[in-house]
Amino acid sequence: MASNKKYWKSVEELKEKSSIVDTLKQNEFFEEIPTDIFLGDKETLETSSTTRRDFLKYVGFTTAAVTLASCEGPVVKSIPYIIQPDDIIPGVAEYYATTMADGFDFANVLVKVREGRPIKIEPNKDANGITNARVQASVLSLYDSLRLKGPKANGAEISWSEADQQIIAKLNEVKATSLPIAVLTGTSASPSTKKLIAKLNETFENVTHVEYDAISESAALDAFEEMYGTRALPDYHLEKAEVIVSIGADFLGSWQGGGFEASYSKGRVPTNGKMSRHIQFESNMSLTGANADKRVVIKPSEQNLALIKLYNAVVSGILTTEETPLNDTIQKAARQLIKAGSKGVVISGIQDKNAQLLALAINKALNSEVLDVNVTKNIRKGNDAHVAQLITDMNEGKIGAVIICNSNPVYTLPNSAAFVEGLKKVKLSVAFSMQDNETAKAVQYSLATPHYLESWGDAEIRKGQYSLIQPTIKTLFNTRQFQDCLLAWTGSTATYYDFLKETWNNEILGGASWNQALHDGVFTAEAVQSDAISLEVDLETAASQLAEVKGSDLELQLYVKIGLGDGQMANNPWLQELPDPITRTSWDNYLTMSKADAEALGATNNHVANGALNGSLVELTLNGVSEILPVLIQPGQAKGSLGLAFGYGRKQGLKAEMQTGKNAYAFYKDFNNFQPNVSLKLVPGEHEFACVQLQNTLMGRGDIIKETTLEIFNTVDSKEWNIVPVVSLDHNEVEAGSVDLWDSFDRSIGHHFNLSIDLNACNGCGACIIACHAENNVPVVGKEEIRRSRDMHWLRIDRYYSHQEDFAGDNELKANGKGVMGFKNAMDTLEDPSENPSVAFQPVMCQHCNHAPCETVCPVAATSHGRQGQNQMAYNRCVGTRYCANNCPYKVRRFNWFEYPNNSKFDYNMNDDLGKMVLNPDVVVRSRGVMEKCSMCIQMTQATILKAKKEGRPVNTNEFETACSIACTTDALVFGDVNKPEDTVKSLAEDKRAYHLLEHIGTKPNVVYHVKVRNTQES
Amino acid sequence: MSSHYEAPIRRPLIIGDKSYHDISVDVAAPVEGKANKLWWIAFSIALLAFLWGIGSIIYTIGTGIGVWGLNKTVGWAWDITNFVWWVGIGHAGTLISAVLLLFRQKWRMGINRSAEAMTIFSVIQAGLFPVIHMGRVWNAHFVLPLPNQFGTLWTNFNSPLLWDVFAISTYLSVSLVFWWTGLLPDFAMLRDRAVRPFQKKIYGMLSFGWTGRAKDWQRFEEVSLVLAGLATPLVLSVHTIVSFDFATSIVPGWHTTIFPPYFVAGAVFSGFAMVNTLLIIMRKVSNLEAYITEQHIELMNIVIMITGSIVGCAYITELFIAWYSGVEYEQYAFLNRATGPYWWAYLLMMSCNVFSPQFMWFKRLRTSITFSFIISIVVNIGMWFERFVIIVTSLHRDYLPSSWTMFSPTFVDIGIFIGTIGFFFVLFLLYARTFPVIAQAEVKSILKSSGEKYKKLRDGNHE
Repeated sequence: MASNKKYWKSVEELKEKSSIVDTLKQNEFFEEIPTDIFLGDKETLETSSTTRRDFLKYVGFTTAAVTLASCEGPVVKSIPYIIQPDDIIPGVAEYYATTMADGFDFANVLVKVREGRPIKIEPNKDANGITNARVQASVLSLYDSLRLKGPKANGAEISWSEADQQIIAKLNEVKATSLPIAVLTGTSASPSTKKLIAKLNETFENVTHVEYDAISESAALDAFEEMYGTRALPDYHLEKAEVIVSIGADFLGSWQGGGFEASYSKGRVPTNGKMSRHIQFESNMSLTGANADKRVVIKPSEQNLALIKLYNAVVSGILTTEETPLNDTIQKAARQLIKAGSKGVVISGIQDKNAQLLALAINKALNSEVLDVNVTKNIRKGNDAHVAQLITDMNEGKIGAVIICNSNPVYTLPNSAAFVEGLKKVKLSVAFSMQDNETAKAVQYSLATPHYLESWGDAEIRKGQYSLIQPTIKTLFNTRQFQDCLLAWTGSTATYYDFLKETWNNEILGGASWNQALHDGVFTAEAVQSDAISLEVDLETAASQLAEVKGSDLELQLYVKIGLGDGQMANNPWLQELPDPITRTSWDNYLTMSKADAEALGATNNHVANGALNGSLVELTLNGVSEILPVLIQPGQAKGSLGLAFGYGRKQGLKAEMQTGKNAYAFYKDFNNFQPNVSLKLVPGEHEFACVQLQNTLMGRGDIIKETTLEIFNTVDSKEWNIVPVVSLDHNEVEAGSVDLWDSFDRSIGHHFNLSIDLNACNGCGACIIACHAENNVPVVGKEEIRRSRDMHWLRIDRYYSHQEDFAGDNELKANGKGVMGFKNAMDTLEDPSENPSVAFQPVMCQHCNHAPCETVCPVAATSHGRQGQNQMAYNRCVGTRYCANNCPYKVRRFNWFEYPNNSKFDYNMNDDLGKMVLNPDVVVRSRGVMEKCSMCIQMTQATILKAKKEGRPVNTNEFETACSIACTTDALVFGDVNKPEDTVKSLAEDKRAYHLLEHIGTKPNVVYHVKVRNTQES
Repeated sequence: MSSHYEAPIRRPLIIGDKSYHDISVDVAAPVEGKANKLWWIAFSIALLAFLWGIGSIIYTIGTGIGVWGLNKTVGWAWDITNFVWWVGIGHAGTLISAVLLLFRQKWRMGINRSAEAMTIFSVIQAGLFPVIHMGRVWNAHFVLPLPNQFGTLWTNFNSPLLWDVFAISTYLSVSLVFWWTGLLPDFAMLRDRAVRPFQKKIYGMLSFGWTGRAKDWQRFEEVSLVLAGLATPLVLSVHTIVSFDFATSIVPGWHTTIFPPYFVAGAVFSGFAMVNTLLIIMRKVSNLEAYITEQHIELMNIVIMITGSIVGCAYITELFIAWYSGVEYEQYAFLNRATGPYWWAYLLMMSCNVFSPQFMWFKRLRTSITFSFIISIVVNIGMWFERFVIIVTSLHRDYLPSSWTMFSPTFVDIGIFIGTIGFFFVLFLLYARTFPVIAQAEVKSILKSSGEKYKKLRDGNHE
C-alpha cells in the first residue's frame, strides 16, 4: 500500500531553503569518493595480479566465447521455398486425378500429395475408379531406390542427347537395310501413344507394333473378335446378375484385368430379399471361388468338359444322362441359368479360344444383360501369335531393331532364352524401363522412364471412356518418357505434354475443356453407339475341338496372386508382405496341392516350435523345364491339380529380401495357364513359409463369423439367425450387452465413430490392408519376422475354412461333442479343414471397444478412450509392457519388437531416404518398444472436423472416412458418425444383420459386423 | 520370549553338546574361515551365469524385445514366468520368519535367516523382469506415480501391473527391514569376535551400534513382533496381487477367481522347496547340521506336501469349473492346456507339483536328505512350468483362431533366466560367506529349552 508518510533525514529539512538540503539533492555522494587515494596508491595497484588490461582481456574473451558458443547448434538441412508455390499449404494435402496404366492394372485414381510428395493412392470414385492392393501400393514403387536412374548404353551411363544421337543413327541404319523395327509394348490403351508409334512408322518405315501381356488374355480377345468383330474384352455388369456361373475365372482377382469386385458385391448384399447366386467351377482355390455360394472342385481339364456340358445344357438343351456328381451340379447350374434368363451369366477363365467362344455363346443364348459387348475394355491387347512370331523373326535375323516399353519379356516370357538370343541378333535393342530389370540388362540401351506419378499420358480403359495421366511430382531421376523419346527420335521438338494436349483437343475432347478433363482425370465421350456386330461362329467345331484337349493325371494351373500380380512391382515391400487372401502366406509363391496328392507324394506341411509353417520341397518338371518348389497343402485344391502363382522369382533390380519365390513363367508354355503332363518328385529339404495365419479353421466358433442362408434370412426373425449372446444376471438370462460393470457415459453428444463391416460385401481382396499401410506408416517387417508371428498389419483379413461342408456343419459337430471326450474329439477333428471347405473372410482391426480390456490394464494409461469412441494410443507414454495386447480378445495390437525405421536389418522403405518420402506426415513413425494399432484414422477424422470448422459448417453426411473405407470398392467397410442420423453407418449399425465380434465379453466395440448370408438355393 | 519348558515329546532343535560359545563359533566359522575350493567353483559358475544374463539383458535393451521369442499373440512368456516364479520363491522367507514367529514355531529359528536372505535375493531377481520386459525400459519411471509437469498425467490405478509395482516394492522393503533387524545382534557378535580392524569396522556399521543392553533386546523383540505382524498380510497380498495380473484379465485360462489362494499356496510350495534346496547344501558345506536338523527338513517337507496338495486341488478345481461353466472358450482353454501342443508342459507341471510331493506321506522318504533334495528341485521345475503353462498356453490360443500361434524361446530368453539364477547364487554365496547364516541370537534363546543336551538333562534321559 502506498504511504503518505514522510521520512525525515535530518533537522535541516525543517528549514526552508537550507543550503545543506540543496547540496544533498545535487550530489549523490556528498562525501567525495577518494579515487585519488585509491588509484594513487601505486604499491597496491602494482601488487594486484589482475591488471586493467587483463580485466579487459577477460571481458573480451568471455564475451566472444559466449557469442561463439551460442553460434553452435544442430544444423538441420532443410531447403526452404524461395518462392512458395501458391497452391501448396504446408500441412494441407492436395489431390490430383490421374490414372494408373502399367499394362497390368488400369485404374482411375486420386493421388494425395503432401508438400509436393505423392503419398497415397485413392480411387477416383467420380470416375468409378477401383483400386486394388497393387494400385494402392504403386505409390511406393515411385520411391523405389533401385529404379533405373538414367539412360544406359550397354550398362554404362550416358546422357540423353548421346543416347538419342546413337539410337537415331542406328534406327537410320536399320531403315537403310529395310528390316522391320519392332515396338514391343505392354497393353497401354493409350490413344496418343498409338499415334506416336504411327508417327515413328512414318519416320523410319516398316515399324511393327506388337502388344504383349505377360499374363495373356489372347484367347478371350480372339474369341471376342471372332464373334463380335473387334479385338477387345467385353465388360460384365455383375450387379445385374442373378446367377453367375464361373468356370475357372478368378474375376475377383485379375481375370481379364480385374475390376469386377464392386459390381459383384452390389449383387451379393441381400437387398429386398434377393442376392445373386454364384457357382464356381475351379481347380485352384481362388479368391473368387472362396466367395462363391457353391464351389465345385474340378481339374483344369475337366473345366473344359464342364463348359461344354453347360453349353449343351443351356444352348442345345441336351442333358447328359450319365449320373455323376459333376453332371448333377452342371444340370442344376444350367437350370438356374435358364431360369435367370437374361440375368444369368457364364464367365470362363480357360485360356482357349474355343472355351471363350462357348462362354460367349451361352451368354448370347441367355440374352444376358450382364455381358456388355458394346462398351468394351481395352486393358488387355496382347496377341500371343504376334509375340511368338516376333521371337521367331528375331532369331532368324528378320528384325532390325527392337524397342521394348512397359514390358519385361526377358522375365515374363516362357521362352525367354530364345528372346535373349534374338535380342543379340538385332542391330538395335532398346528397353524403356523404370527398373533395372532383366530386360533392361539384356538390351543395348536401357532408357530410364518415369513412374506414372511423374508422367503424362492417357488411356482409353473402356471404349469411349478416356483417362488422363498427369504428373504429381517432378521426375525424381534423370528419366524421360517413352513418348518424349519417340517425339525426339521422330524429329519433333514438341514435348509429349504438348502432343497429348493437341491430340486430346483435336480428337477426343470434341470442344470440351482440357483443364476440366485434367481436373476430373477422365473424359467420357458421348454415348457409344452399339456397333457390335454379331458374327456367325461354328460353335459345334469349337465344342468338339475343346473336347479334344487332353488332360493328364497331374495338371498345373498357373494363377495370379493379389499381391504381386504379374511381378512388375516385386520390389514393393508392401505387396511382398501382403498376405495372400487365401493362403495368408506372404513373401512367397508355392505349389498348392490337395491333401490327398500331398499324402500320396509324401509331401507335408508342418509347424516348427514357434508355430511357423514349413513345407516339403518338390521338383516340378514340364517339358524339360524343372524347378524346385515348396508345397503348400491347399484345402479346396482339385485332386490331381497343382497351382503356382506368377510374379515371383525375379532377381534383377530387386533388393535381396524381395527376391522371393520361383519364376512360374517358365511353365507358361504357349501362354496357357493350364499345363497338363507335369511331373513331380519329392526332393529333400524343407521350405520356410511366412504365413500369418496358422490355424485355418474356425473351430466351430460360429459366433465369430455369423452366417445364415438367404432362405432363413428372408423367412425367419433375425433373433433366430443373429443370436445375441446372453449372460446370467440375478439368475435371469439377459443380453450380454445390457450388463455393465462400469458407469456409462453420455455418448450422444459430439461425434461417435463406428465402422461397419459387411461380411457379404467383403471379398477379402486386401486393398484396405495396403491403404492402411500407406496412411498409417505401418512398417514392413520382412519374411523372418512374419515367420515369428510378428506382422505389423493394423488391419488384417482373417480367412477361415470349414471342417465340414459349411460352417453350420462345424457348429453342429461341436454341439454334438458331448462330454469331455466328445468335446475333445470334436475339437481335434475341427482343426483340419475340409477337402472342399466353405470359406469366410473377416477383416479385423482394433474394435475400438467402448469397454476396452486394453485400457484398464495399461499401468501408465498410454491407451485410453477418446470422446469420439476411439481407443487411442499415446505412443510417447507407452512403456511397452504388452499387457494390453495380451488382454485384447481380438489380438489386433502390434508391438514394435525392433526399431523398424532406419535399421539396416529391416531394409525396406523406411530404411532409405527415398522410401521415407512415402511416409504420411500426419502420422508419427513409431519407435521400438511401443504398442501400436488401428487408430480409426484419427488424423483423418480430425482433419475432416477442422475443415468443416474452418468452412463454418457442420460436417457433411458421410464425410468422415478412414483409409480402409476409402479403399474398399465393394462398400464392405463403411465409416461414419453414429450420432449423425443421416450417416449410412448409423443405419448399418442398427441393421438386423449387425452384430459385434465376441459380444459376450461385453467389450461393446465400435466396429460392427454384418451376418454373412449365403445363397444356397439350388434351383 | 517364551517359557523355557518344552514337552519331552518334542525332538531337540539343536543337536549335540552345544554351549553358547559353540554356537557363536559355529555360526562365525564360515565368515571367519577361508573359502574352500568348492565355494570358489560354485561362485565362478554362478558369476559366469550372471554375466551371461547381464549380456543377454544388455542385448535385449540395446536391440529390442524382438530378440526374445515373443510374438503378436504371446506377449508374455519366459519374462513373466520367471517373474512369478521368483516372486513365488520369495514367499517362504516371510512365511517362515513372520507367520511362524506369530505361531511361536521355534524350529523356524534355525532356518529363518537363510530363508529371508533367499526371499530378498529372489525378489531382486523377480523385480528385474517387470522392468526389463518393458519395451522402453528407459521410461520405466512412468509406472511410478511421480508428480510431473503434465498436470493430469498419472498412472492408471486400475492396472494390476501398477498394483504389482507397489506390492513388490513393499514386500521387498518390509522383508529387508525385517531381515536386517534380526541380523543386528548377530552382526554385533561378529563385530565383537572380529580381530581385523577392517572387519570390525564393517560389522560395526552393519550392526548399527548394537550394544546388547536390555533395552536393545526389548526393542528388538518388539520390533520383530511388529514387523512380523506387518509382514504376515504381505505373505498373502503379494502373490494375490501377482495373480491379479492374470485373474482380472479377460483371457480364458487367466480369468479365474481361484487364482489368489492358488497362487499363494503355489508360492509357499515353491518357496519351501527352494529353502530345502539351499539349506540341504548349506548345512553340509558350512557344518551346520546341528542347527538345521533332519527335523527341520522333515517339517519343511510336510509344508511342501500340504501346499502341493492345495495346488493340486486348485488344478483340478480349475478343470472342473471350466467344464461346469459351460463357456466354450474357457473349456477349450483348459482342453488345450492339457491336450494341446503344450501337453508336455502340463504333464510336467502335474507330475512335479501334484504327484511328487505325495511321496512325503512316507516318513522314510521325508526324512531322507537326498530324496528331499531331489523333490525340492523337482518342485521348483514344476512350479516354473506351472507359470509357463498358465501364461503361454492361455495366450497362444485364445478367442480368434486366426491369431493362434506358438511360442519358442530364443537363446536370449534362456540367457536371462539362467542369468537370474546365476545372480541369485552369486548373492547367496556371498551371503553364506559374510553373513551370520543362522540367527544365532535366537537359537541361543532356545538352547536351554530345545538343545539336545539340555533336554536330556532336564528329561532325565541320562545315558
